[in-house]
Amino acid sequence: MTRHLLALALFAALFAWHSQAEYYGFELLAEIAVFAILAMSLDLLAGYGGMVSLGHAALFGLGAYLYSWLGSDMVGLSAPLAILGAAFGTGVIALAVGAVAVRVEGIFFIMITLGFGQMGHEFFFQNKALGGDDGLFGIQRLDLSGIGIDLSDPGSFALAALVSAALVYVLLAWVLATPFGAVLKGLHANPNRLRALGLRVLTYRAAAFAFSGTVAGFAGSISAQHTQFITPHLLNWTTSGEVLIMVILGGLGTLVGPVVGAVVLVLLRHELSSITDYWGAIMGGFLILVVLSRQNGLVGLVERLLPGRRG
Amino acid sequence: MLTDPSFWLVQGLNSLQLAMLLFLLSVGLTVIFGLMNFVNLAHGSLYALGALIGYSIAEASGSVFLAFLLAPLAVTAVGALLYITLIERLRSAGPLPQVLVTFGLIFVLMDAQRYLWGSDALGVTGDVPFSGTIHIGSEPYPAYRLFIIAVGIAVFAGLYLLLNRTRLGAEVRAGVDDAETAAALGVNVERTFFLVFLLGCGLAGLAGAVAMPAFSAEAGMGVEILVPTLVVVVVGGLGSLSGAFVGSLVIGVTLTFGTALFPDFAGIAMYAALVAVLLLRPQGLLPARS
Repeated sequence: MTRHLLALALFAALFAWHSQAEYYGFELLAEIAVFAILAMSLDLLAGYGGMVSLGHAALFGLGAYLYSWLGSDMVGLSAPLAILGAAFGTGVIALAVGAVAVRVEGIFFIMITLGFGQMGHEFFFQNKALGGDDGLFGIQRLDLSGIGIDLSDPGSFALAALVSAALVYVLLAWVLATPFGAVLKGLHANPNRLRALGLRVLTYRAAAFAFSGTVAGFAGSISAQHTQFITPHLLNWTTSGEVLIMVILGGLGTLVGPVVGAVVLVLLRHELSSITDYWGAIMGGFLILVVLSRQNGLVGLVERLLPGRRG
Repeated sequence: MLTDPSFWLVQGLNSLQLAMLLFLLSVGLTVIFGLMNFVNLAHGSLYALGALIGYSIAEASGSVFLAFLLAPLAVTAVGALLYITLIERLRSAGPLPQVLVTFGLIFVLMDAQRYLWGSDALGVTGDVPFSGTIHIGSEPYPAYRLFIIAVGIAVFAGLYLLLNRTRLGAEVRAGVDDAETAAALGVNVERTFFLVFLLGCGLAGLAGAVAMPAFSAEAGMGVEILVPTLVVVVVGGLGSLSGAFVGSLVIGVTLTFGTALFPDFAGIAMYAALVAVLLLRPQGLLPARS
């Protein structure tokens, strides 16, 4: 419960910031929302399911490319259909990749997701029809003018992205409370016991990978609409690493932690990169300190300071 | 092009040269991995450090050979520092925290290198040994690349003797095979790991220093080479010297001929090889553990 209250307070703070923000703040909030969704989807996989992936950004980038491609003149779908297509298309590909990748565990899972992710990166990097390493630009945004919302306005777009992030939080919290969520946690804690109970462990792991990929693809479709410009860098393993840092920084397996991590990292990156060229070293140092502290990220730290109230 | 024997010879030598660089990098990584189930993602950053330190030594002293000698020692010293301050503390914490700390180190070392050497590619300006060309058929070929191949083969031979003929080698093999039993039999596994870690760092530094005159030195080069090195480790088999050698050859050939024949698919072919090995033969081609 503590964690849900923490999430409520955090989202309330973000909406409060939005009501005060101007252009720069809107851009930051939209970016925070995108990375919060992506980091939450990775937490579902890594924190709850015990499958630490270094290829998650490839699913995110795939969603961004699918959205841009489906909505472009090449296919010509309307934006709502392109968003659905991006999320479910990414989910289908994640299911295919997951069906293979979940057969290995631990450090080998990190390696195989790295391998699949880099294959995706390489594919878009070399694909001249999709812009190659220059990427794609001029990507359309969803048109909500029918209900009086103009998403080409940065403030409205940031608000829509924040609402999406809050809804994804609710969705994932609900999924984790269902029997599927219980199996997911069990996969991490004791796969042999689940096997003894007659559950098909690999099927559940693949399903978790596909579901997590669907959410990551959705995050990609928002990111493409936000920047209206995408490059293969979105899929690169260094982006996956950054998202993993957000999850670890906030707290693995806490759901609210990844949101905290996204807020902290996006803010740090923008604030530090305006004063120093070496913000990467500060971010890396921060990660090392969090790991050395042996707390479960910032959320773990907060829970430790609140005695007797564990979420 | 394909019927010209010199094309195959030149590309074959290029494959071998890339393979030997990958071997120098992956051999330390794989033995650390095999001994301690721990991946040092910052290994590529130590390679870049070797190249940059080598560049500075070569520029200051005018001797590239001095750089080959001192740069690996300097990188070994940095490795010892990292081990004592960070990695040793996490020995009991399991593999994930160790992977994450070395991931954080990538960013720290990269920025430290940018701070000290700037972001540009640095090419050594003095005399470089073996800077001439030889002729393969009608094709001129840089002799320095043959030197890189020779260094790789010499290091493989040296490590083979070290592993199979010395006490340290026996302790490493015992540690990779079964660390608990080795420790029970009186092997100081922690000390063995520390020595292997230092040797791995030194070889990464040597790889960087040797690569520097041919490919110049820059802060980002460590991140670029890391992923192919990890692929070699997995394809070859964890903890295995000959696995690292064979894995390097496989990936060197895949990347070089892939780039020459199917430029759009060379990278994909390498990752496909990784995925195929993980699925069909997860222990790698030549695993150390039977």
